[in-house]
Amino acid sequence: MTAAAIGASFRPNELEVRPDGSGNLLGSLCRSCGAHFFPIREACAGCLSEDLKTVRFATEGTLYTYTIVRQSTPAFEVPYALGYVDLPEGVRIMGQITGVEFSDISIGMPMVLVLEPFGTSEAGDALTGYRFRPADVTSD
Amino acid sequence: MTDVHILGVGMTRFGKHPESDATDLGSAALREAITDAAIDPRALEAVYVGHVFQGMVTGQRILAQVGLAGLPLANVENACSSGATAIREASLAIRAGENDVVIAIGTEHLTNKFSGALTPDPSDPEAAVGATMPGIYAMRARRYMEEFGMTREQLAAIPVKNKANAARNPLAHFRKEITIKDVLESRPIADPLNLHDCSPVTDGAAAVILMSDTAAQKYANGRAVRLAASTLRSGSVDVEPTSMTYEPLTWETAREAYEKSGIGPDEVDFAEVHDCFSIAEVLRVEGLGLFEQGSYPWAVERGEANIDGRLPINPSGGLLGKGHPLGGTGVAQVVELVRQLRGEAGDRQIEGARVGLAHCRGGKAVGIEGAACTVQILIR
Repeated sequence: MTAAAIGASFRPNELEVRPDGSGNLLGSLCRSCGAHFFPIREACAGCLSEDLKTVRFATEGTLYTYTIVRQSTPAFEVPYALGYVDLPEGVRIMGQITGVEFSDISIGMPMVLVLEPFGTSEAGDALTGYRFRPADVTSD
Repeated sequence: MTDVHILGVGMTRFGKHPESDATDLGSAALREAITDAAIDPRALEAVYVGHVFQGMVTGQRILAQVGLAGLPLANVENACSSGATAIREASLAIRAGENDVVIAIGTEHLTNKFSGALTPDPSDPEAAVGATMPGIYAMRARRYMEEFGMTREQLAAIPVKNKANAARNPLAHFRKEITIKDVLESRPIADPLNLHDCSPVTDGAAAVILMSDTAAQKYANGRAVRLAASTLRSGSVDVEPTSMTYEPLTWETAREAYEKSGIGPDEVDFAEVHDCFSIAEVLRVEGLGLFEQGSYPWAVERGEANIDGRLPINPSGGLLGKGHPLGGTGVAQVVELVRQLRGEAGDRQIEGARVGLAHCRGGKAVGIEGAACTVQILIR
């Protein structure tokens, strides 16, 4: 995939997409007490400090729980696997699960963030979003 | 400070109402509550109307339809806790001494707006990646099964119980009993939840009239039930990932209600809780402190939550059986409490009920543990 083929982030405030196709989820780190938040906040819910810094989160985590969604809004083609992944910073991120048979998904699996095409803009341009896949599954 | 009493309740049939709208339903509930209270409509001093998707000034449309103009009125939106929040606002107006007779109405016409799964607001980061409300509860169910060993059949026993109760409730959306097999064979919605694990898309409205000590003495003739506590909290922001099999928000809202009413969880005789999904009833009753964490599926198996059990849960049929017209739900729960406490619940009457608790919890936004939660405690 060439750099030019990478679509813009589907939600730039939450997902940074770099020209080389890599990216990170974005959130806040409280410089005062060390708590992390997703998405970006204006103040810390732990200590109310406003001294927050935008940070890139790690791309590996652990699957806390999951489901197979079989009825959704018209924006999403069913069925799809949906899960919550706990990241080492102490945030829990919802995302779709890709690259694995539904029946092979299990709680506690190590997961890794992957950037994938994710819908289109109102102008019709391809956008990039994120999903998680099991860390022991190689892509490409 | 005055106590708050409920005298006068009304509720439409819950279900599909293709011939009417949220205004019609709300005015029907209002008129029944006035008749039930046996008061002149002109005694009403203020109005709170809970609804979610019915548009601007729905409450004013209801009043115009019944000819009640000029009263102070606030429309209240708090997701699935909207109607319960309207009751709380009405109770505060009375406790503050501002009003003596206040009506709270909850109304919603959903079948002309939705089919299928409700989702968080589209602006939410989780909605943007495919979150649906059934999906979120399905994930909580999966986690609960992993942590506590609940089986799929145990989970299915909850809609079986609630729809059996609904079959005894002439105002319920569903009037047909189902079996565990029916639940397991119904259409998959979000694994492990099937269609029978999900509350339906429902139209309906309910209304309750709240009174001060002074007004209750004037009008009540012994039929009033005391609203001993009405508490509301919004979800806290997660500073770290918290368990999705326990509900601190439900507990904190309940704890405040127990303190204010002087009633402990062991003194509650029955409860209407927010069973938007089968797993939700488990999380609610354990969060309320009515059952130990990790114990409720086994208590249901033993029949403890049945109408004739130790602690009946959702005798009306709950959201699963009676239906879930978002704004109407919290008010309808209190209608059920009042009818049970007055001994007017017909085929589903709980013998000797003295203390009832109602719990609503609604809404979802990324990174917070629940959005809006209410607890009401009523004492005969």
